[in-house]
Amino acid sequence: MNFGKIFDYTLIYSTIRYSTPILFAALAATITQQADILNIGTEGIMLISAFVSVCVSYYSGSWFLAILAAMVIGVLMAMIMAVANLKCKADICAIGMAINMFALAVTKFGIKQFLGTTGTFTDPKIVGVPKIHIPAFDNIPFLNKTFNNWSFMEVFGIVLVFILYHILYRTVWGLRLRSVGRFPMAAETAGINVTKMKYEVMIISGIIGGLAGAHLSLGYTQMFTENMTNGRGFMGVAAMYFGGMNPVVAWIGCLLFGFTDTVGNRLQGYGWPSQFVLMLPYIITILVVSISLWRHTVSEKKLKSSVIPAKKVKKGGMV
Amino acid sequence: MNTNAKNYRQKIINLLITVVISMLVGAVLIGVLGNNPWQAYGALFQGAFVGKLNFGTTLANFAPLLLTAYAFIIPADASFFNCGVEGELYLGAITAAFVGYNFKGLPGPLHIVLCFLCAMIVGALWSLIPAVLKVRWNVNEVCVTILMNYVAMYIASYLVNGPMSAKTGTAQTPAVADNTQLAKFLVPSQANTGIFIAIAVTIFLYWMMNHSTVGYEIRSVGQNPHFSEYIGISPVKSMVNSMLISGAIGGMTGCIFVLGVYGYFLDNFSMGIAFNGMLAALIVGNDYKLTPFLAFFIAALQSGAQGMERNTGVPKSIVDVIISIFIIFATMEALFSFLSKKKKNSTAKSQSNTHHKEAES
Repeated sequence: MNFGKIFDYTLIYSTIRYSTPILFAALAATITQQADILNIGTEGIMLISAFVSVCVSYYSGSWFLAILAAMVIGVLMAMIMAVANLKCKADICAIGMAINMFALAVTKFGIKQFLGTTGTFTDPKIVGVPKIHIPAFDNIPFLNKTFNNWSFMEVFGIVLVFILYHILYRTVWGLRLRSVGRFPMAAETAGINVTKMKYEVMIISGIIGGLAGAHLSLGYTQMFTENMTNGRGFMGVAAMYFGGMNPVVAWIGCLLFGFTDTVGNRLQGYGWPSQFVLMLPYIITILVVSISLWRHTVSEKKLKSSVIPAKKVKKGGMV
Repeated sequence: MNTNAKNYRQKIINLLITVVISMLVGAVLIGVLGNNPWQAYGALFQGAFVGKLNFGTTLANFAPLLLTAYAFIIPADASFFNCGVEGELYLGAITAAFVGYNFKGLPGPLHIVLCFLCAMIVGALWSLIPAVLKVRWNVNEVCVTILMNYVAMYIASYLVNGPMSAKTGTAQTPAVADNTQLAKFLVPSQANTGIFIAIAVTIFLYWMMNHSTVGYEIRSVGQNPHFSEYIGISPVKSMVNSMLISGAIGGMTGCIFVLGVYGYFLDNFSMGIAFNGMLAALIVGNDYKLTPFLAFFIAALQSGAQGMERNTGVPKSIVDVIISIFIIFATMEALFSFLSKKKKNSTAKSQSNTHHKEAES
């Protein structure tokens, strides 16, 4: 096995490439989690907006329109979730899974009805999101392989991480949002409209979820496949837990998932069974989340032990 | 007690209204596609009930739906949202296949019991992982179970393509011993005696959850973990128990597929059966009595869909759309609160209660 070939500098861009769809999902989950809404429906929002963006791109020939349509449908799905959860008392996990099921069914139905195939749809008429090509890098292999030909969405994803970080931790709105998530009753006492805040967050989450789907089908690939998200939405939720609702740390989590995905794919060339390669990102995701939450409980226990007598801590440890 | 009965009646009425609404939405969709909705639903009904093959297919669909729905409800009663039944099902199935074609000398009934036992143990052990992660470190169960489904699927896929392959070209294991196969009836269809096992298990589970200590502890933990702990029920133990039971049911469902339907393990055979079971459970709000009816309804819709596609050209995937619309409406508990003013008051009250609860936590 040639490690030099697996771990070379092309790994940098591959990692970014594999992690971007998960990154968008993670951001969509992060912003709702800040308002204490667990956005299980990210997967469904991604899937349906991936489908819509392929449809619009195929029929209109404009990637920009396609992204807009994806965002609109993303917001629509998020609003169904929001109304169901906030107004009709639906359990958030239940309505989230319902949205996922709905997306799966509708896209399965739609791929036959609007695109005329089953399974996978790919066509040269699908216009993808343009790549950013910098001619000056062409002759330097390192720069060319690492920084050239990034998809527009990959750049935007990274920018979005810092935009969200800024909004959450440096603006009044962000502070209010975090207070809604921490302690809704206190927030309400302070004059914040909690319900309105939650609706706003769901709309933003829908927009980001729509971008995630559009990137998946127009940037990452240029096709649509039944259930093409393949758990990426849930990996995004996992990355959100890893980051503890902090977009920057969640991004690092996504990069970690993307990295294992890339390395796994390269290992396939060395005789690893394809199934092991395919299951690797899922196992890594579960491991990473478990370890990070384990660290979290340990540190929390330490914090508690300074105020509560040791006997009680021991009891808490059992639970 | 009286108000309970009244609430229950209200619940059933809401459910029926939801059925009607989603069927209407489906009818509109079929109409938009340029077909006659009336004809399409007629073909759907025929495809589900008329003829040996059709009715047999409905029954064959019913058994796994019923079991997987219960595999979802029992952990849900301990407030554990288990999306991992699909994975339990795959691993149970591959275990059953392994035991089925390996120990060929055993007498039939013993061999069948051994298959079921091994499948149930493997399923239970698999579901132990998310349960432990949840109770130890509070790792979100929805995320972990969904991701674990993929892992389970690929493990089974690796085994059936590699070490356990029958080497026949298609990805399947060797056939299980003849005397372990469950008897079939309504012959051209896939209906088998597994359905009676499923019904018996369901009745047992219903009894267990409502009249036994284990069931009481699980339900009590789901309703109020703090109170349960106060009266000496360990929330951790109950949650883990509920997941072990769920895993065993999932494994058993997989075993029924291998011994009853196929006679071997087929790669990727399930295609989301467990998720349909979950839908059935979610639609009725995790109600033990109503779940079998819903499971039967969904089974009928799915087997009827094929007949509908054959006879009227309406794509069968429309049925999945109808079911998913159905579930979106059904999860909105307060959607029909405008029906009676009294109920509206009570929802307002409980809403403020939940606010208080949120605030406290």
